[in-house]
Amino acid sequence: MDAFWIILAGLLVAIPCGLLGCYLILRNMAMVGDAISHAVLPGIVIAFFVSGSREPVSMLLGAGILGIITTFIIEFFHAKARLQTDAAIGVTFTWLFALGVILISVFAGKVDLDQDCVLYGEIAYVPIDLWITSSGKIMGPRVIYIMGVVFLVVLSFILVGYKELFLTTFDPAFAAASGIYISVWHYLLMGAVSFTTVGAFESVGAILVVAFLIVPPATAYLLTDNFKKMMIITAILGFMVSFGGYYLAVWLDGSIAGAMTVVAGLLFGIVFVRQLAGRRMSYGL
Amino acid sequence: MARIKTLGYLLLLLGLLGCQPAPVELSPELSKVVTTTGMIADAVINIAGDSLSVEALMGPGVDPHLYKATQGDLKKLREADIIFYNGLLLEGKMGEVLDKLGRLKPVIAVGEAIDTSFLLASSRYPNAYDPHVWFDVKLWQQVVQSISYTLQEIDPGNATYYQANTTEYLSQLDSLHQWVTIQLAKVPEKQRVLITAHDAFAYFGRAYQIEVRGLQGLSTVTEFGLKDITDLVQFIIDRNIKAVFIETSISERSIKAVVEGCRQRGHQVIIGGSLFSDALGDYQTPEGTYIGMVNANVITITKALQ
Repeated sequence: MDAFWIILAGLLVAIPCGLLGCYLILRNMAMVGDAISHAVLPGIVIAFFVSGSREPVSMLLGAGILGIITTFIIEFFHAKARLQTDAAIGVTFTWLFALGVILISVFAGKVDLDQDCVLYGEIAYVPIDLWITSSGKIMGPRVIYIMGVVFLVVLSFILVGYKELFLTTFDPAFAAASGIYISVWHYLLMGAVSFTTVGAFESVGAILVVAFLIVPPATAYLLTDNFKKMMIITAILGFMVSFGGYYLAVWLDGSIAGAMTVVAGLLFGIVFVRQLAGRRMSYGL
Repeated sequence: MARIKTLGYLLLLLGLLGCQPAPVELSPELSKVVTTTGMIADAVINIAGDSLSVEALMGPGVDPHLYKATQGDLKKLREADIIFYNGLLLEGKMGEVLDKLGRLKPVIAVGEAIDTSFLLASSRYPNAYDPHVWFDVKLWQQVVQSISYTLQEIDPGNATYYQANTTEYLSQLDSLHQWVTIQLAKVPEKQRVLITAHDAFAYFGRAYQIEVRGLQGLSTVTEFGLKDITDLVQFIIDRNIKAVFIETSISERSIKAVVEGCRQRGHQVIIGGSLFSDALGDYQTPEGTYIGMVNANVITITKALQ
């Protein structure tokens, strides 16, 4: 049963992250997940100042608000200052993280406060991190509910806004000409990304989220030119990574998040090498 | 076995549904104890001898703030009959999960069993306590006794055995405490300053009248500032301090910057050695036990500062 919950949790993180990641890598914003993982620090610190405690709800709230602010600032720099997206991401998350570090060292020097301590979850504990109602009823792993909601929200967002998201990603000029508000859809997408990543950080930790956002979509990108197929392949890869990663971790008795990320990297490597070999063959080398 | 477990959960569930305070399950076959840190595991071993199997999740040299769980940890936590952890947020998010697990089986935060009047809190945030309680031997005795009471309550059949071992161990800790006090009193008061990379030794300093200076705060993300280093260098020169210390579970980079800063201003300060802070030494070595660790730290400190 433990294996089932962990693989399911991996899958519920892999699919929403992967689907959003498909848009992100095509918009040159793949590192936005990593940026959010750093930029939430001041949110955590401010939430601590306001609530005076390190309990999870206020930490999550602080992180969530900062996640959304981060994506908005990135988009603002990109749209208004005509900065390249990677530079906009770099500028935003470094100064937000630095702001968090300064806030801690000035105001909270004697309190252990950082993402590792108060925000990042651990996928290994999914099966024992149960949701128990106040009457004592055991409802099953808490993370499954949280990520289940995230999964449904992201899936319905993409199904409802598929056409608009597709057009604003591939042909913004045409999208604008057909009356789609490009920036509105961009902010909606970024809002979905920060909502998903912060929820997933709290559930399974940072490295896995950043990996799921980028690696499976990048692998799928190598395999197809069709966007719909790319999303489907990403979802299948997400399953392979969760499943294979879990059993790799069992075999090695190592970190589950680490093993899943390694499997994702291996799958990318295999696809990449095959492509390289295929291309050489077609050139007759 | 799985069916028995399900039945157990169902019974527990029924009990909880009846709105009664959850009783700690009395199990006649208490056998497996899992702890987070090695210090707690060592305490349990001294109380229970060979009668229980005791396992610490965090091995030698592991920084509990940054510990990453392995797949096997989950199994150990599941199979444990009782779990002891430090609490006071030493284990970070993991503490939260353990706290929740406490609704299904006995899970005890030993640091939180100490009366809060003995704990050191951040001056600005009275609810944020320093979790490094094991460096004050007197305080650790309280922890040992409370672990022992918990074991006695859960396994009343062996209660006298546990208490006899506990009394014996507590008297060993008494002599340890006296020895530490005597040893450290030998260092001239002006030079009795312990300088380390992060603030893990506050309880130690309070118990044995040593001034403690750390470069970093409690959290390991806050990097030390340039001003921190200059201030510390000035302090070392003013007080003519001979040595600073590194810790087994923390990078020594920061403290080396201080040594270099002193050298540039013409004051020789050495790295007095490496102290065990958040983890015990290797298994099968003397430092692999709590008493051995305290011994080693005190010898390192007095040798370097005298």
